Amino acid sequence: MNHAKRATEFNKDEAKVNWHDKALWYVREKRDKSAHNVQGWEYLRQLGSEIKANVLSNLDEYLIQFESNAKKNGVHVHWAANAQEHNEIIQSILEKHNAKKVVKSKSMLTEECHLNPFLEDKGIEVIDTDLGERIVQLAEEPPSHIVLPAIHKTKEEVDVLFQEHLGTKPSQGNPEYLVSEARKHLRDKFLNADVAITGVNFAVAETGGFVVCTNEGNADMGVHLAKAHIACMGIEKIIPEEKHLGVFLRLLARSATGQPITTYSSHFNQAEEGKELHIVIVDNGRTEQLSREDFRASLHCIRCGACMNTCPIYRRSGGHSYDYTIPGPIGSILSPGKDLKKHSSLPFASTLCGSCSNVCPVKINIHEQLYKWRQVIVKEEKQPIVKKSILKTAGMVLSKPKLYKIAGKSARFALKHAPKFMIYNKLNAWGKARDLPEVKGDSFDEWYKKRKKNE
Amino acid sequence: MSREAILNSVKKNKPELLPLPEINEVKFKEDVDLKETFKNNVALVGGNIIETTVASIDDIIKAQYPDKTNIVSTTNKSKLGTISVDKNTDPHTLEHIDLAIVEGELGVSENGAIWVTASNSVVRALPFITNDLVIILNKKSICLHMLDAYKVIDNRERNFGVFISGPSKTADIEQCLVVGAHGAMSLSVLLV
Ligand code: SF4
Repeated sequence: MNHAKRATEFNKDEAKVNWHDKALWYVREKRDKSAHNVQGWEYLRQLGSEIKANVLSNLDEYLIQFESNAKKNGVHVHWAANAQEHNEIIQSILEKHNAKKVVKSKSMLTEECHLNPFLEDKGIEVIDTDLGERIVQLAEEPPSHIVLPAIHKTKEEVDVLFQEHLGTKPSQGNPEYLVSEARKHLRDKFLNADVAITGVNFAVAETGGFVVCTNEGNADMGVHLAKAHIACMGIEKIIPEEKHLGVFLRLLARSATGQPITTYSSHFNQAEEGKELHIVIVDNGRTEQLSREDFRASLHCIRCGACMNTCPIYRRSGGHSYDYTIPGPIGSILSPGKDLKKHSSLPFASTLCGSCSNVCPVKINIHEQLYKWRQVIVKEEKQPIVKKSILKTAGMVLSKPKLYKIAGKSARFALKHAPKFMIYNKLNAWGKARDLPEVKGDSFDEWYKKRKKNE
Repeated sequence: MSREAILNSVKKNKPELLPLPEINEVKFKEDVDLKETFKNNVALVGGNIIETTVASIDDIIKAQYPDKTNIVSTTNKSKLGTISVDKNTDPHTLEHIDLAIVEGELGVSENGAIWVTASNSVVRALPFITNDLVIILNKKSICLHMLDAYKVIDNRERNFGVFISGPSKTADIEQCLVVGAHGAMSLSVLLV
């Protein structure tokens, strides 16, 4: 099944799609307000991008430096080439501690490696403790958004899930009640856990320490109660110096939810006395992506989710329609690198409006990479899985690189000039039956005619 | 272990060295009242903010949290503690702590965050597992933004530390903001 087909599924419940669309747009607007409050925001993004570019160009040295500093602090450092090795390393640490109960805070990497089913098969209980992740875990679904994992669920659905699994009373989806019940349920899990697993937001080469950001406090509740802490990170999470956290922590939460910073930004350098701290450094396809000149900047990503919130396609098709751990625009440039055939419809799940690139805090040229993947796919896939007709609708703009370039450059371009036929085409499930936010100004045709004259 | 394989693959695939940018802090300069901005931001992120004197700390806390009985104070600025902790305290025993009173090292005006170290909280779990949290902060210890914050905390023992900005919260159920997820249900910041 391709993206458009799965998007059609999501669009069966129109009220829900409209809500999803509006809710995410609202998060996008909060991001804008928050960013505008920061003196030098654009310069901050520039710095974020340049620091990440430096990191990728010197990544092996930084990884070695990070490892050696972490070891000096008594941290155990492990290296995993792929998901399998990552999972086995974790299993061996758990065995060493005779651990049967694990609490996990949000980590897209462990999702990517399918750690939960792997450990569950071995008889280990793994509880996702971020509320949104717990909700989707109970529903036996993957997260549909990297920051808002349960954004596709209504409160009534959560209510029913909690009744079934936590024994709550029907509350018609009262969020306060449901959160307080989840708090009780998860407290119990925290207090009885043997080992805590977390992700890593930033790992500092200079100090060997790392930072984990949460709003709920779940990472800290897990880590500080358990005997051992295992932190899992992709190789690209490295930043050179601690002072660079000053750049990235200013960018991350504002881009993600519009908060000035997450509630907790926890800095781990050493284990608490009598406990153990492990770090698993994972490749799993990242060095391959690093080799692709056109696509390596996708490794700058700090997983803020802003590109999803702003994407007209994501908002109308839902995270599950991408069928990849990281959905949305960034997922659509990461996934073809993992499995070109399987994910070949994703680079087409875009209007190339450029809104993603405009909000990205580390200035990844997302929409340009989408365009480049399309070219690769059209060339490499003999029988394009992508329907020809979709290509046709996008064809005119895409066949004129110069025109496309102009389109990509301007922020104001976003929806104003997205060709209507691309958005409202019958084949595009996300464009059916509803209007995009109204944008005043030239129609695409008028704009295109003007451009033609100037060419 | 795949250490060598990963490092070799990085070496082979990485681009030519690009420079690490200098941070030109002039671009972030702002003429703001640090204390007032900090206070506004603590309120924005859902915290209570109260300016007081060291002598009135306990009265303020009692007024703010009248029904608390299981109280841990890790600072000599408050005498309200009913349960004492040291670094060997098993954090599981803190399950029923109603209120924790700790000192913060540094406030950040741009986001209302406060730097709390492992030594401030004695037991690392304390500021998270407690039902409610009070942080006492010197009003002179407020800096403009995170870049300044890292300069101030640069010279420290690096074991564990956390920037705390407001009480714990979640919006994971239909984007409705609910305060009090897994960490503290409320945060009061006393500026002295
Ligand atoms: S690509 Fe950019 S906007 Fe999208 S999640 Fe990553 S950092 Fe955020």
